[in-house]
Amino acid sequence: MSSPMIHAVGVRKSYGMIDVLRGVTMSVARGEVACLIGPSGSGKSTFLRCINHLEKHDAGVLNVDGSFVGYEQRGAKLYELNDKEICAERARIGMVFQRFNLFAHLTALENITLGPIRVRGLDEKVAIARARELLDRVGLRDRDGNYPSQLSGGQQQRVAIARALAMDPKLMLFDEPTSALDPELVGEVLDVMKDLAHSGMSMIVVTHEMGFAREVADQVIFMDEGIVVEAGAPEQMLSQPRSPRLVNFLSKVL
Amino acid sequence: MNGDEPLEVVPVRHYRQWLAAAGVALGAAMLVHALLAKIPTGLWNCVTTHGQRRCSPVLQWRFHWDVVSQYFTTGPILRGLLMTIELTVLSMVAGILIGIVVAVMRLSRNRLLSSVAWSYTWFFRGTPVLVQLIFWFNIAALFPTLGFGIPFGTVFFKVNVLSVFTKFVSVLVALALNEGAYMSEIVRGGILAVDEGQVEAASSLGLTRLQTMRLVVLPQAMRVIIPPTGNEVISMLKTTSLASTVALGELLMSVEHVYNSTYQVIPLLIVASLWYIVISTVLSVGQFYVERHYAKGSLRTPPPTPVQRLRADLSGIGRKLRERPSFLRTATSR
Repeated sequence: MSSPMIHAVGVRKSYGMIDVLRGVTMSVARGEVACLIGPSGSGKSTFLRCINHLEKHDAGVLNVDGSFVGYEQRGAKLYELNDKEICAERARIGMVFQRFNLFAHLTALENITLGPIRVRGLDEKVAIARARELLDRVGLRDRDGNYPSQLSGGQQQRVAIARALAMDPKLMLFDEPTSALDPELVGEVLDVMKDLAHSGMSMIVVTHEMGFAREVADQVIFMDEGIVVEAGAPEQMLSQPRSPRLVNFLSKVL
Repeated sequence: MNGDEPLEVVPVRHYRQWLAAAGVALGAAMLVHALLAKIPTGLWNCVTTHGQRRCSPVLQWRFHWDVVSQYFTTGPILRGLLMTIELTVLSMVAGILIGIVVAVMRLSRNRLLSSVAWSYTWFFRGTPVLVQLIFWFNIAALFPTLGFGIPFGTVFFKVNVLSVFTKFVSVLVALALNEGAYMSEIVRGGILAVDEGQVEAASSLGLTRLQTMRLVVLPQAMRVIIPPTGNEVISMLKTTSLASTVALGELLMSVEHVYNSTYQVIPLLIVASLWYIVISTVLSVGQFYVERHYAKGSLRTPPPTPVQRLRADLSGIGRKLRERPSFLRTATSR
């Protein structure tokens, strides 16, 4: 049996005196879509950022695709990877942010080709052709020359997804991708994400969109106060929650 | 009145504004008069025609514009101007490079690097540039030779300071080091103004920290960096005149040289000032276009160039003349 995409045991992280992650344990299989839900401040985003080493976890085991994030095991010791090695690891993990974070000085097309050209060393023509394909896939074929400020929030987020996909990631992380969007723009982004999920991409989605979780997720993981409280199939989690904390949370968001 | 008749619209009259405008116009006229007035020199010009002798006072511009124009484009002045421009360009280029390095060091996570950068800025901003200039000019008194090697250990090779630190080099070093301190703060401000999310997005794509700085952060920081840098360039243009204190032949020194023998102090200072104004005007225009270049992506529509604006203004006036205001139309149609 191949190793799971994410294998986390007792992951801890604290900022000074505040414990944000207090022992997170979860497993996400290859090709699986996992939705992380939970109240704000529960550590969902922090855990997500630990997966691509934007944050360093303090303790616990966090394996992505069979290898330690940010560390290399040699014998009984974990050696922290240097900048370059971490960059190489990150290049295979796509991330989509709540506030899009498109590069403001580059056009939509340039946003998508920057990584492939500079990190993967792809030929410019090849990268541009691939970027156009991706723009087409997210429904923004004619927006290639627009700067982010000339795009709506939904369009920006779709470009951001295309930018992440251009790196041929083995795993996609979504950090509340629709939270900063006007309600009528949420649908277009979720549609792109659904498409992606059906194509077999491994995805971890921090979200408050329960409808999306119910429809697309293979696994829903409920976090509260830095730990995973309950995890399971969406139908069972959202319809027959067992823990009182999840019951309480769902009563507020549904 | 049945209420259907068009009513005449009377705009507010700004009487006090008109009064102020009249006052300013009067002041401007006085200034022009003072600049262009001719005054008697004390000499008389006498002509005898038909046995009649007529005398009139010889007049002379108060500001000696003839002297100004006589010297404006002479060789020594132009050579001084060239050196001023050279000094400005070289010390700004060096200052900007130093500024970028010091700013990046200052933002480093390494405490030693950041405190060295802080001390650099602290020292060079804290002492007068004129003092620094005289210091570098006299550096040979402190270090007759410069040795490169291991501190307290072997020296690999030596340089004679007096031969390296010519007048020009010592002025350049002083101005560049001083400018580097100011530029580092400007660059740091620009880097800090770039949203943290941009760096995160770049890292998540796998860009190294150097690539992130070069491809993502600095291009966006430029928008914030350029206006104060324009200030610095223009300020540097005039600061180079301090080099005259060590008798380096830049613009101010070359006019001083002339008026020391002709005693025409004011007209020659005008010559220098006019050149400073000309160059800073050229620089301001350059700044506008550089700013416009780096504004891409941050504005939906770039600001118009002066030429575009002028054209829009002129066509606006034309339109106004063609379409008379509605209140006038209603008033005359009655």
